[in-house]
Amino acid sequence: MENKPTSSPTSFVDQSVVPGDVVLDLSNMTNQTLKLGGGLRQDCDAISVMKAGKLRFSNPNKYWVESSQKRYVPHAGDSVLGIVVDSKADNFLVDIKGPGLAFLPVLAFEGGTRRNIPKFEIGTLLYVRVVKANPGMNPELSCTDASGKAAEFGQLKDGYMFESSTGLSRMLLSSPTCPVLDALGKKLSFETAVGLNGRVWVNASSPSTVIVVANAIMNSESLSGVQQRIMVEKLIQNLKLST
Amino acid sequence: MEEAAAAEVVVVVTPGEVLGKASQVRAGRGAYVAPHNNLVYASLTGFRRTLSPPPNSPDQRPTVEVTGHKAHGAVPEPGSVVIARVTRVTARMASADIMCVGPKSVREKFTGSIRQQDVRATEIDKVDMHLSFRPGDIIRAVVLSLGDARAYYLSTAKNELGVVSVESTAGETMVPISWTEMQCPLTGQIEQRKVAKVGG
Repeated sequence: MENKPTSSPTSFVDQSVVPGDVVLDLSNMTNQTLKLGGGLRQDCDAISVMKAGKLRFSNPNKYWVESSQKRYVPHAGDSVLGIVVDSKADNFLVDIKGPGLAFLPVLAFEGGTRRNIPKFEIGTLLYVRVVKANPGMNPELSCTDASGKAAEFGQLKDGYMFESSTGLSRMLLSSPTCPVLDALGKKLSFETAVGLNGRVWVNASSPSTVIVVANAIMNSESLSGVQQRIMVEKLIQNLKLST
Repeated sequence: MEEAAAAEVVVVVTPGEVLGKASQVRAGRGAYVAPHNNLVYASLTGFRRTLSPPPNSPDQRPTVEVTGHKAHGAVPEPGSVVIARVTRVTARMASADIMCVGPKSVREKFTGSIRQQDVRATEIDKVDMHLSFRPGDIIRAVVLSLGDARAYYLSTAKNELGVVSVESTAGETMVPISWTEMQCPLTGQIEQRKVAKVGG
C-alpha cells in the first residue's frame, strides 16, 4: 500500500499493474486535476488500480489501465459484432458477448419504417453500434451511425467469424494499420469487420484465403510487429505452395 | 350461514357466504352485491359486522362489512402516496417494490411500475429513464391506478414526488443539489435523478 519513497507518476506508466496497486499519490503531485479512465479509482488521496493491465498516460492529465479480456463490457459508441438471438415486436435481441442481451430497435436502420422492417433470422451476424450502455439495463444498439446513415452497419453475409480477446480487437483497429493486417493486405485481397467485443469477421473470394487471414490474425496478439510480418510471410508462402 | 339477527354478534364468514339480501342490507367493506340475484355475499375471510345507517340518510339499510381477523396491512389505493424501492429500469418504464402506503408499511409485496410518460409533468417524451431512476433508489410516488395484473401504475409527476434517498457507489447517502442532480458527499460525483422536493 505504500508508495515508493521517490514516487513520481511516471514510475508506473506503461508498466503492468494489478488490482490494489497505488499508482499515484495526489498529495505529492503538482497538477492535482486528473482524468481517470477505466480501471482506476480514487480513494481520498490515492489513485489505486481496479483492473489488471498496463497503466497508460496521455498528456496532459489522462491515466487509464489497458487490459485484454475475453469478456466484453458494453460502452456507448462502440462498434461490435452481434448475433441475433430472438426478435420481438419492437426489438431484435442480439448477443454481443456482454452481461445481458442487447436490444436493436426494428426502426434503427437507415430509412427504416414500419413497412420495411428487416427480417433477420436467429443466428444472423450483424455489425452494429452501441447507442446506450447503462449499468443494470440492457444495452441499446443501432444499425446507423450517429447522423442516421447506414455507414457499413448491418448484416454481414458469407465469410467467417471467430472470437478472440478485446485487446486483439483494439490492436486491429489501431491506427496506423497494425502490421499483421498491413502485411496480409499487401499480398491478399479480403475484407474484415472487427468488433470491439472480441469478434472478428473475415471474408474473401476463396476459402483458403479466409483461413490464412483468420489464422494470421488469431496468432498475432502476442507477437511484436516484426514477428507478425515474419509469420504472415510464412503463411503466404505455404498458401502459394499449396495452390 | 344465514344472516344474524342482532348487530353485535360477530361471526366468522368466508368468501361466498350469503350475508343478506340487497334490499335489506348494504354491502360494505369485504362484501359485494351479486347482480343476478341481488344477494350480498362476503368476499373476504373475517368477522362479519353490521353498522347501523346514519340517521338522516334516505337509505336506511344497515351496512354489513367483513373485516379481517388479523389487522390488514396497508393496501395501495388510487391516489395514495407510496414509498417504493426501484428494482429495474428499462428504456420505457421502471419497476419498483412498494414498501409503505402513506405512513404504514405493507405486509405483503406489491409491485409498481412508473411509465416513461409518468415520470415528470413537462417534456414527457424526452424522458431518459436512466437519468431519472436507478435500481436501488427509494422514491415517493402516487398511485395512478390498479394497473394490470402485474403491477400498480405509479406516477412521480409532481415536485414533491421522485427520488428521496439514493446510495452512491462509494456507499454514502447522496445529497440533492437540484431537481435533477444528486451528489455524493465523499467523492463529489454527481448523478442525475428526478429528485423529490422534500420539506418546506
